[in-house]
Parts: sequence; structure tokens; C-alpha cells
Amino acid sequence: MAPSDHPTSNWEPMQDGTVFYRKQELYSMQWKVQDLSDYKVVGARYGGPLAIVRDEHKVVALGGGQRYTKPQIQLYSSSGGLISTLSWDQGKMVCMGWTLDERLVVLNEEGLYRVYDLQGEYEQFSLGQEAQEEGVMDAQIHETGLVAITGSLNFLEIRGWEGGKAQTMASTGLSSPPNCWAIMPPELTVSRHAEVLISTESTIFTLDNLECVDQRVSRGPFTFIAVSPNGKALALLTKDNILWVVSSDFQGELAESDLSLEGVSGPPKQVVWCGNDSLVLIWDILVLMMGPYGDSLRYYYVSPVHGVGEIDGVRIVGAEKCDFLQRVPPSTYAVFRPGSTSPGATLFDAMTHFEKKSPKADENIRSIRPELVAAVDACIDAAAQEWEPYWQKKLLNAASFGRAFLDLYDPSEFVTVGQTLKVLNAARYYEIGIPITYTQYQHTSPEHLVARLTSRNLHLLALRVSAYLQIKADPVLKHWACAKIAQTKGVTISEKDDEDICKTIVSKFRGQYGVSYADIARRAWQLGRTRLATLLLEHEPRTEDQVPLLLSMKEDRLALKKAIDSGDTDMVYHVLLSLKRRLNLGDFFRLIEDGGPALVPAANLLQVYARQQNRELLRDFYFQDDRRTDSAVLKLQEASEATDMVDRTAAIRAAGKSFSEDKDRAFEARMMDEYAKLLLLQQTLEKDADGRVPFIGLSVNETIYKCITTGQSKKADRVRSDWKVPDKRFWYIKLHALTESRDWEGLDAFAKQKRSPIGYEPFVNHLLSKGFPNQAKNFVPRCDAKQRVDLYVKCGDWRAAGAECKERNDKARLDQLRRMAPNNLVQRELDQIASSMNTR
Amino acid sequence: MATAALPRPPPQAGPSVPPLRPARLPSAQQPAADSSDPGVDVGVLKQLAKTGLVEALNAVPGGKTLVLDPTLAGPLGLVTEVSLLKQHGVDKMFWLEAGALSSQSQNIVYLCRPQIRWMKIIAQQIKLHTASSERHSYTLLLVPRRTILCDRILEEEGVFGDITLGQLKLEFIPLEEDVLSLEMENTYREVFLDGDNTAIYYSAQALMTVQQAFGLFPRIIGKGDAAKRLADLLLRMRQAGLADDPTSPALSLPSTVLDALVVVDRAVDMITPLCTQLTYQGLIDELVGIKNSYVEVDASLLSTAPQQMSGAPSLPAPGPTPALGPSSAQPKKKKHLLQASSDAVFTDLRDENFSVVGAHLNRLAKRLNEDYEGRHRAQTVEQLRDFVGKLGGLQSEHLALRLHTGLSEQIVPMTQTEVFNKSLEVQQNLIAGYDVNAQFSTIEDLINREAPLHVVLRLLCLYSITVGGIKPKQLENTKREILQTYGYQYLTLLLHLSSLNLLLKAPAPAPHLPLPSLRKHLRLLVDDVSEQAPTDIAYVYSGYAPLSIRLVQCVTMKPAVVAAEMGEKAVGGGSGGGEAQKEGTLKVVPRAHPIMGWKGFDEIVRSVPGETFDEVQRPEGDGTGKVDRESARHRLSAGADGRIVLPKGHSTTTVVFFLGGCTYTEIAALRWMSRQTRGRKYLICTTSIVNGSSLIDSLSPAPWAPITT
Repeated sequence: MAPSDHPTSNWEPMQDGTVFYRKQELYSMQWKVQDLSDYKVVGARYGGPLAIVRDEHKVVALGGGQRYTKPQIQLYSSSGGLISTLSWDQGKMVCMGWTLDERLVVLNEEGLYRVYDLQGEYEQFSLGQEAQEEGVMDAQIHETGLVAITGSLNFLEIRGWEGGKAQTMASTGLSSPPNCWAIMPPELTVSRHAEVLISTESTIFTLDNLECVDQRVSRGPFTFIAVSPNGKALALLTKDNILWVVSSDFQGELAESDLSLEGVSGPPKQVVWCGNDSLVLIWDILVLMMGPYGDSLRYYYVSPVHGVGEIDGVRIVGAEKCDFLQRVPPSTYAVFRPGSTSPGATLFDAMTHFEKKSPKADENIRSIRPELVAAVDACIDAAAQEWEPYWQKKLLNAASFGRAFLDLYDPSEFVTVGQTLKVLNAARYYEIGIPITYTQYQHTSPEHLVARLTSRNLHLLALRVSAYLQIKADPVLKHWACAKIAQTKGVTISEKDDEDICKTIVSKFRGQYGVSYADIARRAWQLGRTRLATLLLEHEPRTEDQVPLLLSMKEDRLALKKAIDSGDTDMVYHVLLSLKRRLNLGDFFRLIEDGGPALVPAANLLQVYARQQNRELLRDFYFQDDRRTDSAVLKLQEASEATDMVDRTAAIRAAGKSFSEDKDRAFEARMMDEYAKLLLLQQTLEKDADGRVPFIGLSVNETIYKCITTGQSKKADRVRSDWKVPDKRFWYIKLHALTESRDWEGLDAFAKQKRSPIGYEPFVNHLLSKGFPNQAKNFVPRCDAKQRVDLYVKCGDWRAAGAECKERNDKARLDQLRRMAPNNLVQRELDQIASSMNTR
Repeated sequence: MATAALPRPPPQAGPSVPPLRPARLPSAQQPAADSSDPGVDVGVLKQLAKTGLVEALNAVPGGKTLVLDPTLAGPLGLVTEVSLLKQHGVDKMFWLEAGALSSQSQNIVYLCRPQIRWMKIIAQQIKLHTASSERHSYTLLLVPRRTILCDRILEEEGVFGDITLGQLKLEFIPLEEDVLSLEMENTYREVFLDGDNTAIYYSAQALMTVQQAFGLFPRIIGKGDAAKRLADLLLRMRQAGLADDPTSPALSLPSTVLDALVVVDRAVDMITPLCTQLTYQGLIDELVGIKNSYVEVDASLLSTAPQQMSGAPSLPAPGPTPALGPSSAQPKKKKHLLQASSDAVFTDLRDENFSVVGAHLNRLAKRLNEDYEGRHRAQTVEQLRDFVGKLGGLQSEHLALRLHTGLSEQIVPMTQTEVFNKSLEVQQNLIAGYDVNAQFSTIEDLINREAPLHVVLRLLCLYSITVGGIKPKQLENTKREILQTYGYQYLTLLLHLSSLNLLLKAPAPAPHLPLPSLRKHLRLLVDDVSEQAPTDIAYVYSGYAPLSIRLVQCVTMKPAVVAAEMGEKAVGGGSGGGEAQKEGTLKVVPRAHPIMGWKGFDEIVRSVPGETFDEVQRPEGDGTGKVDRESARHRLSAGADGRIVLPKGHSTTTVVFFLGGCTYTEIAALRWMSRQTRGRKYLICTTSIVNGSSLIDSLSPAPWAPITT
């Protein structure tokens, strides 16, 4: 590479040479614009694109094939490369501006605004009713919102670019339009909300959502208000061309200069901050720079120019070239200032000598040995600030050379700067045309730069930069996929094309995490590529993202299936309830039924929901699906909730009927008949007892029991025979009931009625458990002989137990009893029995 | 309107505790140093739940009335105290129940699970307020998450706009150091009867949280259709999580402290819960009832002496009856938290077979007495001081001893009833396949005697499962007997049991449990099991080795399944009394073998109905993504078959998840297994603690309304 001019060749001193400014040419413009003053121009910050539109107030010579057409907005890169052309067919344009992510906002006088991306795709929003009726008189756009003044002098604010509702700001009480005004963007204010500065009469109002404050300035009216990039200072220009700089809280006066002393007259076209400490004023071809101490620099151009304020300088765009004017950064100044003896400069010098193989190199290094670290740092920093790769390299070489003399030096800054410069040089290349400085790059972020490359459809570069800087590439890929799909807009597409494009997209995404196929599919769907959208959705790992799109695509069954696959039942409910709203009931049920086993989980959930929230729906569902047993169970549930006898009986009969319609449920149907019959009987029983004895709700067993305990044995027998209660069970019931009512005679008679089908041990045990040992022991003789001794003991009748032993001549058992005897009395009795056995 | 019966907190002395800061999950990825450590520390999950609650409460400024879902009170009580709620502005608490809500506070906070019935009650209460032009601001916190379904119900009820909705992520609650429960009581019914898989989804999310805390399960092994669904969901969630955050270490790296997740769904093994649990804690649950770790005992067994170190008052679960009514008639009952951390006696007893509990308590009483007697031996001032120092411990031990003696005394007579013993006998015989016809007659006899319905149904279902259905005539007849004896309203329950394949007509349609072959190959019956010094998990049922745990052993402790003699070798001798057992553990126990899936048991496991699966979670997702170079060094080396090779001396934890609930006996069996090998601990996770009766209750429809006319 040929050595470029020395960096200092474009430096201009100020303040007696203590500060230098440099104006370097970035590009010679590729465009064919003849005279920029014919256009309205807005440029985006951070080396962003320019939007130009022919100024309607200027006279244009028609003819020579030119015809008057609707205005066209042209988007150019900073190097004058055409990005795209937008035709504006809406009402009169009030203003244009750039968002932070380089979308162009255009507002018309009816309050309608569009947000265009660099490809000309737009979203359209409105400021609302008031703006439409009153008209928009003026507006200003900042990176994250806009403020508009309506015909009735109300200030409306839009925050963000998602189409939010316009907020009305506090009332100003203005009676005439402001002389000039400016926005203090939200990121610069204390409140983090946008503030508006309004010049009216001789003073300035500051306005936000809550209040409008008169700042009691008396030097107005002003023709320009400009807010510095850091928001700390305001530049005000009076109509007498006195430039007055104050702190943004109006408390301190920072500078004042009378421009008429500079020999200029008339108001400038633009007042732009150049960094945070100087201002640039532009009159067509004159660029006047005012430093903080009243010194000035002037630059003349051959044709009118436009300035774009940056955080660290100002970009000056003309028909022929694009320049960047900035204060020479301190490190650059230190290294390159003629006659500089700073460590950085010495190191750089040493490097030059080293390359020439001159021993002076060593001498130089030696002389700055203690400050070598600072010297290396300075060279690295100066390299970062340099535009020309030649000087970047030289400076980095110098740094690298110096580093070699250091034992310990953290190389990360060196590596970062080297990497970053590689990326910046690529972005600055004229075909790309993003003249971003290192400071601006640091102020934004690598992701921001990648996003900007992406939005210019420079996917390959964006992808490489992402990979190089190791940042996530999925936004790039997503944009690429959407752009790829949009390319084929309007062309007839075969099924194969869809599959191919899907395959291409999927293969590009392989190995990339975090890519949202759902977003791409939504884009495809919006472009009318439903089939492709469905194909793409198949690859979305997050089911919750698939389902809503499928629903809006009316792919109902697939949406339901995907929701089921996700395992998230709430997602299934979401689909079910949406479909229930949209479809008629018949279609809704059919969708679920025809889905087969795959949709069974959805049918299950529908039942769970309907059982609690919509019984009617459930009834219909079971009916339509011929689910007799389920219908019957549902009716049983209704029966259980009924508090009225008639309702309950009816519900039970209905359940019985449903059961009977299912050939496998004959038993259940019969049971329902029995149940209904039992309820009727219980009703009669209650009536007979004048309602004093509750019967309703008892089981068959309990009914018999109740009959016996209330002395209605006959009725108990009738229930027994009508319900064919088996002997054994009946005997238990009667035993329990008679014990309960202590009807010992009855119990005895019952026991003797016939041989007990359950034996007599249950008699003994039950009576014992209810605390009637005396009654219990009466039944012991009827029990199995082997058990009797134990049973007697259980009844506490030791003598009987002993007697039993004697009867059976079981000496061993008797001895055992004697050992277990609870007291002396028993002991003696048992001893007696034992002795009687012995004597025999 | 009933006020929630919550104990008052003690007056707060001094400044309140500083508000908790949101805790990030600390990475617990450090490998456990030795095998004596308790495994992974689950305290972090409790802290997470607590912080979530505090944040949710603080989001509502000022004093507020808290309206609480009664089914959440128990779980919440395990993670927080009333005093904490008070500190965060809760000045009054009510149960969420139908009827008007009268509240003085401006702010009303509802806290409930996202269920339709709660939404309807809340809507009703808000509408009543609106009608009487009472003004409140409502906040609804849904546990564990806000759902679209609830939004819709509130919309349909017309109150959606009046409520601020939020969520409280209450997932696994540590019941003990080694037991985590979601405390979702009805999971078995919802998943297997209703086909509502919500609980599976929540389980998966909760397990994802566990993975976030401790790293990926290197392997997910399991049995059962629902278990498979859960495993699929876990894999899917990992992919979705990686799609959002590809660099998440918790999703890309297998854990170094966990070696596998074993999922068993309840439908795979219904035999185990249907049998009567015979461990101490299991029997308390069967006969007295344990709810959210709380047991209701006579107040006289609990002392309010200062030694009771249970700390701040807790939120007990609401009792089945209103607190006011019958309490005056019966001896006063009190809720007591049964937890090993606060009760050393219980730690020793909980997993013992009940038959040895009496002797154990005796021994303990004797020792305690001797310890007390120690004061007479104290000669010097130092010895006396020593003794006084021990006194606090002795006293709390004394109190615990009194409680457990009291509980045992309460249980003993219950285990001596005829019904209890007959039902045990039937269970044993059915599993052994011995004279099934006689068993059926016994069941019929129990119906005639009007034994409790759940006893009858448990046996009947066990019969149907083990025998493979009931002869049609017999089945119909028994069903009729049941309906006549207990009431026709149980028809629905019987239908539910049959649709769950628990009560089937013979021949039961395939697939059904091949019990004879399982009995043989998985040694479901162990003949001479020692209750004092167990040599096999079968001690928890005095002979029957729970199928679910045998399946887990097929993965984690293969020798124990293979043969009796191998099993005995595995525990080092195994003869002799309890003391010998203690010595046995001091001897060198064998190292746990690495996880190798179902290997060796594939065929027999496959013969059990339900899906069988074994998934390896590899480090880098699909193998398509980039491997983090850093991470590659940390992860365990996985062999070609996904087999995890453990570094020497490294101890890992196997997570066992029971989908649909587990019993205390299953927990006891897993704890026993932890002690048999070095290098493997078990972390037991479950949807809730269940037993046969609670499962059957969950299938029963609501009680019938009384007829009013």
C-alpha cells in the first residue's frame, strides 16, 4: 500500500495551536446529485445512511424528459451508493428522520407516519384522531420517538416505533407557533422521558409530559436551538446571529460569540454540534466552525453541503464528497504533533528508526523506558482513531514493537483494537459506506453494527463479522431467511420450490442455536407462502411459538396436534378455547373426533374443562360421540348434586337409560333401577315414620339395619327379599342391628331361628367389641369346640374356660390358663378344676 | 365465611428480618467429596420457593388480605411460616372457599392452583363486592404458573379486567433431606383416569429446575407410558431451552453430582400401594393419616415445653372438619410435623418394620433412663456441668420418645383387629398366588362384615391385578354386594376402577402383569425376611418386595435382584440382630455399580405393561452444536453406550421420580438401598405421598348432596 499523506496534513490549529481539528475526506460520492440545496436531507448518526427528497419549495426546471411525479425519497449510503428508492404517495410530508436501528420515519400532515426499513418495506401508524383533524404543523424525530405539533399547538409524543398510542404532552399555552424548537431525547434527560425546548418570544419553555416551565431567558427570539450530543449544553442562535451556549439547565453560560464579526450574514442553514465542545454552522457552501473560546475555522466547498452531527464530530456531505470534521483525538495529537516528545511519539519514532535499522531506535526506547506502557497505550489508541489502514498498521506495529520491551503487558486491548479495526475497515469500505469511527462503535455495540449490515441485506459480511467477533449470528440468519423468502414474492411457486427453500434455510441454520423458525414462518405466511410456513414451522423447537401461528393460519388440526405434542396442557386449552369460539359446535366436535387417537389428549382436556365450566357442552360432546357410559356417569354426577328427590330420581333413571343403551352395561343399568326403587321405598319409609327416621340416602344394608333398629322387622325382611340380600350378609346386618338396639331376646330368637350361616363366632366377637361380654358368652357353646376356651377367656369367663378344658380333658391348656389367671380368685377356681381333673 | 384457623405467631421482638434478595440458583456442580455426605443439598429449592413468595407479596404494596387455596396451605407451610407472611404485609388470612369474602383491606391477594373451580369462586366473590360497591384491588397468584385457561375462565366470568395476575413458582418442596414432593395430591387420577397431562408438564418443569440447579441428568431411564411422556418432555424442554440460550451450562453439560433419573409411573405398579405398608411411618399413614408431613395426634402427646425445637409456628393443612365443631367433644387433636430433621427418635424409627418398633422404643427408653441416671454419677462440678449440658438434648429426646410411644400405642390395637389381619393375609397370599379362591371368599366375607370400603376395594383390585381379572359372574355379584352394602353412589367409583384396569373381568385383556414370572425373576416374594436386620427391601411389607423398587434396583443395584445369596452378600452377612446390622454397615460395603440402563433385565422389564426407555443426555445437544471447550474438561466421560464412568471415590445421587405418587414404604426401601452400597445416594422425588386408600379416595366422586325436601 502506498504511504498516505501524513496524518497531520489535514490538521488545523485552534487556540494558538493547543488544539487541532482535522477534516478528512471519507469518500468521493458515487451519486449523481448536482446540488444538494435542491433537496431536503436527513442523515442517520454513526455513519448511517442519508435520505434525500426534492425540496418542494425549490423551483425545478421541467423539460428534457423530466416530468413532475410524486415525490421520491432516495436512500443513500454515506458514500453516495443508492440503497433504495421509496415513492411517497401520501399527503404532504412534514418531516423525516432516522431511528436508532436505521429505519426511516416519514410523517405527513394528517398525522400518518410510516417506518421504512432500508429495503422499502414499511409499517404504517397514525398519531391519532386529533392529529388527523387538526393537522400536523411541525414535527421532529429522534432515534426512539417523535414529537409533533398539531394545528391547535398541542404537542403529541410517540415513544418507540411499535405503533404506540400518541401521548399528549403538557399544555404550553402558546398562541402562535414557536420560533424554533428542539427535542432533548429521553436518553439524555434526568427523567428518561423526552423533553421539548420551545423558543417563544424572548424566552424558552421546557416541556415534558407533566409540565411546561418558562426558563426566563430574555435574549430571544432564537432561530436555532441545538442540543449537544451528551445533552449537557444547548447552542442558541439569536436572530442577530449571536451564538450563545448555555448549560442545558440554563444555569451556566458557557460561551458567546457574535457571528457578524466573522463576516457572515443571514441565518445559517444548519447549526450542528461537532462533538461536545464545538459547533458547526453551515451556509450553503461555507462551513464555519466555532470553538469553545471564540476561535473559528472556515471551510469552503464548491457546492452546498449538509452536516450530520456525530458524537465525536460532524459529517459534512456534499455533492462531490463526504468529509468528517473532528477534534484531533488526544492520543493522535500526542503521537503525531510536530515536535512532540510524548512517549507515544518517541515510540513511534523508534519504530521508524527500527525499520530503517537505525540504532536510534534503541536510544529512543531507552529514553522512555519508564513510560513505555503509556507509550504503547497511546499508539494503540491512536491506531484506533486513525482512518487510513496504512497509519493504523504503522501505529499498531509501533505498539507491538514497544510491547516487546515489556515483561508484563495485558495484550487484550491490542487484540481488541486490531480485531475491531479489521471490522471497521470492512464497514468503511466505500461499497458498504458506513464511516463509523472507533468511538462511535464503542458507543453503540458490535451487535448494532451487525444489525446495520444485516438491514442492508449484507448477510454474508454480517455473518462473517459475527463469526469473527464471536457474537450470535441468529438475527442475521433470520433476516437472511426472511429476505430469501421475500425475493420470490409474486412468482408462482411449486411445492418443490417450497421444499427447496426450506431445505436451504434449514441447512444454513444447522448448528446455530436460538434461531426462531416461527418468526420466519410467520413472515412466509404474511407473504402468502402458507405451505412454506408450515414446512418451516416443523423445525421450530419451541412449540409455544408454533401454535399461535398455526392458529392464525387456520391450520386448526395441526395447531391442536402441536399443542398436544408440546406436553403443555395449557397450550392445548388455548387452542381448544380459541377454536370453540371460532367454529360452530358441530365442526368443533368433528375436528376432535376425526383426529383419532392423536387428539385424544385434547378430548380429555375438553372433558375436564367442560365438566367444571360448561356441563351443556359436555353433554353434547358425549351425545355426539355416542359415549353412553360417560353420559350416564355425567348424569350420576348431576344426580349427586340434586337436592331435590324428584330431580335425583329422574337423573338416576336417565343414567340407567344411558347405561342400557350400551350393551356392555346391562349390570349398571340394573343397578340404577335398583337404586331408583330403593329411593322410592325410602321415601315411603320416611313417610310412614312421619319423617322422624331419616332413610333417604342410606344403602340397602343401612336401610335393613334401620328398619330393625326401629322395630320394623317385617319391612326389613321385605327389603331383604326384594333386593335378594344373601343370607350371610343379612345375618351380619341383623346381628349388628339387634346388638345396637340391645334386643337380647330378639337376638337369641334370631340365633336359634336356624343354623347360622356365618357361624356363632361373629356373634361372640361382635358382642364383645360392643362391650357385652355377658351376652357374648351365651353364644360360645354354639361355636366350634376348638375355639371355645379362647372365646371364654375373651369373654372374661375363666371358670367356663376351665370347665371347657376339663370337658375336653386338655390338661396342658388348663395349666396354661392357670399361669395366665388375672387374679387369685380365678386362680383358685382354676386350681379347683385342675384338682378335680387330677382326682378323676 | 370461615377464618383460616392459623396459629398466631409470637410477637415479633426487635427489628424484622431484612427482606430476602432474589436468590440465583447457586451452582451445586461440585462433586461430592466422600460417600458419607448427604448427597445434593435440596435446601436451595426451599429457599427458591420462599423467595418467590416474598417477592410476589412485596409486589402488592401495603397491608393485604391473603386468601389461600386450602390444598396449598400444607405445601406452603413446609416452606414458610406465618410470621414471614406477616412481615410482608399479610394482616388477615382466609381459606378460599365458596361464599362471600368480607375484608377490610384494600388489597386482596388470592393464592391458588390454576384450577377452574377456584376461578369460579374468585369471580363470584369479586362480583359480590361489585354488587355491594365494595372497592378492592385484587391480585391473583397462580401456583406454579399463570395459565391461559384461567385467563379465559375469568374472562368468561367477566372479572378478568379487575384482577392483576401473577404467578408463584412453587415446585418441589423438600419434605426431608432426601425427599422432594410436588404435593399435587390428585396426580394419579388426573393423569391415568382423566387423561389430563397437566401434572406431567409441571413435573417436567420441576425436574428442569432440578437440572438447572445440579446439572443435566446424564441418563433418563424409566418404565411406564406416562413416564415415557415425561421423559420425552424433558428432552424436548432441554432442546427448547437450548434454542433460547445455547450457552446455558445447566442444559448442555451432564451433572457431576447426579448420575441418572429413574422415572416410575404409578400405573406400572399398583400392587405396592394397594398393600398395607408395614413400616412405622407407612403404618402411621395408613392408620392415622399423614398429610403434607403433618400428623394429627392427641394434644397430650405433644408438650409445649420450650424444648420443642420446631421453631416458628407453621401453616398446618386444614383439617377435614371445621376446627370449631367437634373439637370440644373429642380429646384435643393437634397437628405435628413429622420430620426427621427435628426428631432424632423418628429418624431411627420411620423406616423400621413396625414389628420391631416396640423393642426399639424400649431400648431407647432404657438408654434414656440410664442417661438420666448419669446425674447421680456426677461427682465433680465439671461432670455436673457436662450433664446439664446434655440435659436439653435428653429432654427433647424424652419428648420425642413420649410422642412415638403414644403413637405406637394408638396403632397397636388397630393392627390387632380381624379385618387388618385378614386383609394382610389376603395380600400375602395373592402375591404368592396361593389358593386364590379362598382369598376371594375372604374378601366376600369382609364385605358381609361391612369392613371399610377402601379395605375391600384395595383387596379386590389386588385380586384382579394379581390373578388377572375376576370371573364375570363373581365380579358382577361382588359389585352388586358392594353397591348394596355401601351405597349405589359408588357405582361411578367402580367404573373408574375398571377403566383404570384395576378391576377387570377375567380374562383380562392383554397386556397385564405377568405376575408368576415377575415373582420368580424379580424375587417379589422373599421368604425369610428379617425385620430386625433386613437383608432385602422386602422387609417393608414383611415379605413382599415392592415391584416399583425392584424395577429401580434393576437399574441401580442389579445384584440385589438377581439372587437371594447375592443379595445377602450385598449387605455383608446379614444374619444376627440389629446390632450386627450396625456393625455390618461399618464393614466395607460394596461400591455401587455404574448406571448401565436396564442391562440384564431388559426382557423381564419389558414384560411389564408400559413403555420401557433409556435415554442418554449427551453433552452437546444433538451433537450438531459446538462443544464448549471449557466444558469438555468438566463433564464426566461417557462411553460409547452412554455408560457413565465414575471417578474413583466419587459419590453420586440417583434421582428416582414417582409419577402419580409414592408410598412411605417405597421411600424406606430406597433409603435402605442407599445404605447397602458406597457411592450412590437416592434423591426421591414424587408428585405426592400416597397410599392405597388415598388413591381410591382420589378416584371417588364428591359426596352426594343431602336431599333437602
